[in-house]
Amino acid sequence: MSKAVLVDVTKCYGCGACTVACKLWNGKKYDDAKKPTVGEKAQLTDINWTVVSKHQVPDASGKTVWRFAKKQCLHCEEPACASSCLVGALRKTEEGPVVYYPDLCVGCRYCMIACPFGIPKYEWDKSFPEVSKCQMCSSRLAKNEVPACVSVCPNGVMKFGDSDQILKDARATIASDKRYIKHIYGEKEAGGTAWMYISDQPFEKLAFKTAVKNQSLPEYTWKIINKIPAALVVWGGILTGVYMITNRRNAVKSSKNNENKGGKS
Amino acid sequence: MEKSDGKTGTVSRRTFLKGVTGAGLTGAVAALTGCKSTGKPAGGTGWTPQQYNVPENWPVQVRGRVPIDTENPSIVRDDKKCILCGQCIEACSKVQSVQGYYELPIKDDITCVNCGQCSLWCPTAAISERDDVDKVIAALKDKNLHVIVQTAPATRVAVGEEFGMPPGSIIEGKMVAALKKMGFDGVFDTNFTADLTIMEEGTELVTRVKNALAGGHGGGEGGHHAPMALPQFTSCSPGWVKFCEYFYPDLLDHMSTCKSPQQMLGALAKTYYAKKKRIDPVKIVSVSIMPCTAKKFEAARPEMNSAGIKNGNAKMIDVDYALTTRELAKMMKIFQIDLTALKDQRYDNIMGEGTGAAVIFGTTGGVMEAAIRSGYFLLTGQNPPELLFNLEPVRGLQGVKKAALNVPGVGELRVAISHGLGNARVLLDQLRDDKKNHREPRFHFIEFMSCPGGCIGGGGQPRTALPPSDAVRQARLDSLYTMDAKIYKKRLSHENKEVQQIYTEFLGKPNSKLAHELLHTKYTDRGSHLTAKKKA
Ligand code: SF4
Ligand code: SF4
Ligand code: SF4
Ligand code: SF4
Repeated sequence: MSKAVLVDVTKCYGCGACTVACKLWNGKKYDDAKKPTVGEKAQLTDINWTVVSKHQVPDASGKTVWRFAKKQCLHCEEPACASSCLVGALRKTEEGPVVYYPDLCVGCRYCMIACPFGIPKYEWDKSFPEVSKCQMCSSRLAKNEVPACVSVCPNGVMKFGDSDQILKDARATIASDKRYIKHIYGEKEAGGTAWMYISDQPFEKLAFKTAVKNQSLPEYTWKIINKIPAALVVWGGILTGVYMITNRRNAVKSSKNNENKGGKS
Repeated sequence: MEKSDGKTGTVSRRTFLKGVTGAGLTGAVAALTGCKSTGKPAGGTGWTPQQYNVPENWPVQVRGRVPIDTENPSIVRDDKKCILCGQCIEACSKVQSVQGYYELPIKDDITCVNCGQCSLWCPTAAISERDDVDKVIAALKDKNLHVIVQTAPATRVAVGEEFGMPPGSIIEGKMVAALKKMGFDGVFDTNFTADLTIMEEGTELVTRVKNALAGGHGGGEGGHHAPMALPQFTSCSPGWVKFCEYFYPDLLDHMSTCKSPQQMLGALAKTYYAKKKRIDPVKIVSVSIMPCTAKKFEAARPEMNSAGIKNGNAKMIDVDYALTTRELAKMMKIFQIDLTALKDQRYDNIMGEGTGAAVIFGTTGGVMEAAIRSGYFLLTGQNPPELLFNLEPVRGLQGVKKAALNVPGVGELRVAISHGLGNARVLLDQLRDDKKNHREPRFHFIEFMSCPGGCIGGGGQPRTALPPSDAVRQARLDSLYTMDAKIYKKRLSHENKEVQQIYTEFLGKPNSKLAHELLHTKYTDRGSHLTAKKKA
């Protein structure tokens, strides 16, 4: 059963415990002075798999309110990163996480370009760099445990469960409480994601990418990749080959996803 | 999700790439070994502070931690040291009734009274005071500056712990010697302004009580429109003051208008002292050593610039740097001073004398006891009877204490004391309720201290064995009472010679116009920055 997490932005007070739990579990370094994990300057990096960004938003009465948004990989239902990956180093698992297998990665970084949310980062500082992003604690999920960040939140900001149930809960919450805006971020974005958000402030004010298409992305990912030859000169020669493979994959895919894709060009 | 065909695809794609480019290093290795497995996924199998790993961690076993604003003037946290134990939440919520006492979502502030109790409870010292030691050392090195320092009552029975002495060791003289050795140009005692506070706050109380006796709602001395509400609240604990501003702004009329002793000394250093010593107040850097992290917040409050305003420079603030007891210990270590080896020295005059009544400001109940001693004098013109020098009902570590005494010509004076902000709520909710039902006030005067035990248990004091224990608090507290009873010659604030001198030479009389300008203050309603929980 695919798992999902619902983040209720209204309950977060920005303590950053979730970001520390992430570092503890995943053994990531801290460099918060330059790229902090919490606050206005919070930034996802190769070592910050999750951050809590602070936003000052004018509320309905014109008064400024502070909101904290816990961000990480959204674990798309149909991840563009995985489809763009030439070697299958990124895979959507049945439990929900989109997992990265470093042993397979060839370092092409297509996934970074493909991801509509700009999530995958690259370990530029390392001599054998890997791509780096939240794994939704797949190792914990395998043991029936919730992700590390979810397990330490003092305010119950994040709710973990079966995706159908989580979506139901999200709908019920925003329907029963008029403070919430009537939008579940991640329900439709990029064809649906395992991490979903509800909020009392518009998502664009919390720096969520709201221009993301409500369809899965593997489709046009490849068109984008074809348009950036400068960055990928070395690969230019093989793109055609890749394109062939992709086409085959997409052919398999499109038969499954026709209903939410709209007009295909 | 295309697990099966994804896998076959993987192999064929990698094989394809191998041929074309030699792939990346990992790809190459995989190719050479003919490895077909995916290897280990990224991500840890690390450690999180759960007690045991069981399916579904609900309710959460780890309670997260308190939020700390990156701009918090008092405390900072080092994530590298945090083990998510949740002790800070315990302190903030159970002891101080701050975390968990406001509704989510938050408004435009991270509610914190800057008390620093979390920094005492944090087992790894991930939370600590915002460190101002470097700035003070830089000021000391600058020969153009005149750097003065004041030390709070509670520091002298605690800083020794940082040098291996038992809790409660009385090291006033050595601490003064250390400060002089570090190069401070004037070493003053916050006890001096504690005595002064008693004169100002006691006079204010007498005015409020007399006003009530007359059944009137008159203005204050000299028409300052001073608030007249009873009971009067003490105002020397900045964590308590901010707590009241957040959660009980409707009761701010009860708050004494007196600044805390720290701020009084700061204001006088750049006026009275500067004038007497003919020093340009711009050159004075005023430092305080406090048992408290909230003192940093207090010193930075925008209205704490009375000396600046008096000197025509609103940017000049009264206290430049407030250091904690722990920071003082750190400084001594930087200067390689062996505290234990120093010979006792005395505070400098004209702001260096203190009485026993002042030194017990550092304990819960101490301000009350000191105020009663001198209040008795202010009301009757006579020194109090022997009994009032050992006011047992107001002493000790009980959370809420009450006492009543007969004052000739006034009648029964009823007082209450609380320490630890959770205990404050008991008295505050009761008062709110009484006011709503138009009942007579139960008390005339209430002492509130933010921290358990009073300042001796302040958030800037040396860390102790966990959890911060009453045994240590009791030892520090006993020492202050010993100093009051046995060491200090005088035990009445109004008998402090330097206090008498400042009134004749500078301030006039207690609550005079000048005293109001320099020694009294106003409060800020912070109720709009949070949604207080109805009943937490
Ligand atoms: S958010 Fe980006 S990195 Fe995460 S699964 Fe979706 S496409 Fe991949
Ligand atoms: S642990 Fe919870 S409250 Fe704290 S920052 Fe993360 S999501 Fe927000
Ligand atoms: S300083 Fe006091 S109020 Fe602020 S977080 Fe720590 S315990 Fe809570
Ligand atoms: S008490 Fe210290 S170590 Fe424990 S959660 Fe709070 S900050 Fe982290």
